[in-house]
Amino acid sequence: MNALLERLYGLLLTFKEYVILSFLVVVSLVLLALNDTVQVQRLRSIATVVLGLTQEQLSFIPRYFGLIEENELLRRTNIELADEASRLREAKLENLRLRQLLGLKQQSTYQLVAARIVSKNLTLLRNTITLNVGTNDGIRPSMPVLSDAGLVGVVVAVNQGYSVAHLLLNVDFRASAKVQRSRVDGIVAWDGTSLQLTNIAKTLDVKVGDVIITSEYSSTYPPGMRIGTVKEVKEQPATLFKIVTIEPSVDFVRLEEVFVMTAVPDRDKIELEAQVGQRR
Amino acid sequence: MQFYLRSALVVLGLLVLQTTFIQWMELGGVVPDILFVWLMYIAITRGQIDATVAGFTVGLLQDLATTQFFGLAALAKTVSGFVGGYFYNENKTEIMLGTYRFVLVTMICSVVHNLIYFGIFFQGIDGGVLVPLLRYTMTTTLYTGAVSALPMFAFFRKYLTA
Repeated sequence: MNALLERLYGLLLTFKEYVILSFLVVVSLVLLALNDTVQVQRLRSIATVVLGLTQEQLSFIPRYFGLIEENELLRRTNIELADEASRLREAKLENLRLRQLLGLKQQSTYQLVAARIVSKNLTLLRNTITLNVGTNDGIRPSMPVLSDAGLVGVVVAVNQGYSVAHLLLNVDFRASAKVQRSRVDGIVAWDGTSLQLTNIAKTLDVKVGDVIITSEYSSTYPPGMRIGTVKEVKEQPATLFKIVTIEPSVDFVRLEEVFVMTAVPDRDKIELEAQVGQRR
Repeated sequence: MQFYLRSALVVLGLLVLQTTFIQWMELGGVVPDILFVWLMYIAITRGQIDATVAGFTVGLLQDLATTQFFGLAALAKTVSGFVGGYFYNENKTEIMLGTYRFVLVTMICSVVHNLIYFGIFFQGIDGGVLVPLLRYTMTTTLYTGAVSALPMFAFFRKYLTA
């Protein structure tokens, strides 16, 4: 027995490099398999807090370098916004008058929580951002993230002080959308290289320059949020669909501050649709 | 003991760099992996066992710092650290570090690393895995290889110009 053990020990010692490699590979594979467990999520949550704090402390450096450019951009935006605000004021007054005439109830407005991006992950396929707001600020998963330019993404993970959001430029992101001009419906998705409006039959009316907005069919995003404009429309040979490429309204490279819309998905609608789906 | 403490500090510093400032160096969505360059330094100076363990540890930290698949970087870096260890030669460490061989070793092991990493990372995407896998493997390898030339020049000055 002892001789066998000694021989086994000798073998382990001879091939220790391979033994260590095999052990660590197995541990890595087990960790990969346990990706969605609570323990791993908690570990990542702690790491996100630590990293978020570090990145927040260091985030002044890029802002300092880009200060002149940012200042110029802000001044230009300020002028544009002042002009837009005066036009909106007029439109709001007109809207109020019309609503009173029609006896319509004032549409409820959503509350927006301002957030700063403390980390941006731009690996092209699954792009995410980390925001410095979390459950303490009322943030929950599935809340839409937007900027002044339009829809940015959706919150997918939250802890007390930070949240992680999928950007539009993420292969896991989907949003029900429509062409503002022709009311044609489709699904906005990212294929890894470009943002596209999918499920558009060749007979439907979509043109370059059309504005794409979120549709009222979405359970996550309120209708009418700007997503982008149509950059290219191509006929797909041998299929019934067009390839509609969208230029996102949001400049993700320059994006620093965003808003989280504290609107959670309409649970009643989702439950009702699920019930009908089960009956079928 | 002093080596491990120093290594831990270096790794933490590089991890912060990798997750913050390295984003500035992004070219077409590709960033160099400076932790991988450090791993190759360990492989060449310390050998296979140290490189394998260091690869696993650094990969795990990298996994924690990103929102991607937990364990993926650990797996890729463990295997590439092991492969890097084959280039360990106690008598030729300085020549390996201070010449083009360091860049070459980094690039060879980076191909192994990226094939494993992106091979799993791209599973399930629309349009097939092969094209993005090759594209990202090649570009990331070239970029990481180019960045590894900086420490190579430093090692050249330190070891080979005296």
